Amino acid sequence: MNIRFPKSIRILALSLVAIGILALALSGVFTSLSRLVVSPLTSLQTWVSQQYQGVEIFLSASQDIREIRQQNTELEAENARMQAQIVELQQQLVEYKILSALLEFARANPEHKYIGASVIGRDPSPFLNYIIINRGSDDGLRRGMPVVTQNGLAGRIIQVTASGARVSLITDPVTRINVRIEPSRSAAVLTGSITGDITLEQIPQAADVNPGNLILTSGLGGNYPANIIIGQVTSIKSRENDIFQSASVQSVTDFDDLNIVLVIINFDPIDISPLLPNAETP
Amino acid sequence: MSVILSIPVLSFITVLQSAVVSRLPLNRGTADLMLVVIVAITLQKSVKTAWQWSIVGGLLIDFFSGLPFGLFTTSYLITTGIAFHLRERIWRFSFLMQLLVVLSGTIIIHGLSMLVLFLQGSSFQFSTVLQVITLPSIILNFMLSLPVFLIIQDIVQQLNPPE
Repeated sequence: MNIRFPKSIRILALSLVAIGILALALSGVFTSLSRLVVSPLTSLQTWVSQQYQGVEIFLSASQDIREIRQQNTELEAENARMQAQIVELQQQLVEYKILSALLEFARANPEHKYIGASVIGRDPSPFLNYIIINRGSDDGLRRGMPVVTQNGLAGRIIQVTASGARVSLITDPVTRINVRIEPSRSAAVLTGSITGDITLEQIPQAADVNPGNLILTSGLGGNYPANIIIGQVTSIKSRENDIFQSASVQSVTDFDDLNIVLVIINFDPIDISPLLPNAETP
Repeated sequence: MSVILSIPVLSFITVLQSAVVSRLPLNRGTADLMLVVIVAITLQKSVKTAWQWSIVGGLLIDFFSGLPFGLFTTSYLITTGIAFHLRERIWRFSFLMQLLVVLSGTIIIHGLSMLVLFLQGSSFQFSTVLQVITLPSIILNFMLSLPVFLIIQDIVQQLNPPE
């Protein structure tokens, strides 16, 4: 049997049912039922959400990592450039200090004219104490010209090419320089050695020489100008039966760290070999 | 290895020797890069022009050095002779041969240098020179020997691949 209610009654009945359900829901009757249904859904939603966030972070992070790597590469390149610049500036600072000291030396000794030169090499043999400088005959250098540093005498030119020169240091075994010991003003001969040590020989026994005394060029022999400082006496060897005393000398110039030198260009060495007793005479 | 190639290569070695190696002393001794290179070249069995390389290297160092001209050329030729002698008789342990020949070469060069300086009037104590210059030089030459030998061996094999 099929009973059909009028439409208005059906609407009214449905409205009452709906109001009733709402009233029951508001009164908390459905809470436990709601929990039972919603709880697994919430768990599922939480899991899905976490997975989505993970994927989202992964996708956005890969983009960030690319950017960070790019920035890192740029910063590393910048850092390398800055490091190179620092090294260059430190080198310039060292050169500036050396040049300042050389300028000071030149001002303190205005009687000479100088040309600055860079040390570009050393003798291949460890037995010789020679340096090679980057100035030659094109710059007015000639054989025999003295070479100094900001501290004192370094050596003299023994060979010249157009663009370079070889300088024999005062530590070289063939070196013989006439010197004066201050304050006693005694004369002596300074000699080098294979091992790079320099010694004073032919010091008169009567001379009062003590450690700390200054050694200067005397100008005798005509190879070097007078009054260029060489070093200090460190120890004296004196025996009663010997004709002369000898002494060890500490040079004022650090020959292991020669980078820039000054060549005295207004000094003409004098060749006195024709005046020596063993020279051939007509 | 072409003799023409020896001129630019050994010129560069000479510049390196004067500008860098001679500025890195151990006590008063310095390494002899040219000697180490020439010995390494001579000990390569496929190199037929070792004598020529030795002469070019010796002449270049003689031009740069203040020692009497010809001292280095003579020393390198004697050392090359020793290297050839050993190369023909010993087929293995090339690197040990390198050390042995470098030791012989250093002693020859230093011996001749001391003789020349003695004849020129320099006075020195043999034991001091041995301790301060020769022994440190031998140590430095030994230190250079391994990298130089490996580099030269590699270059020679690249230029003359085994058939």
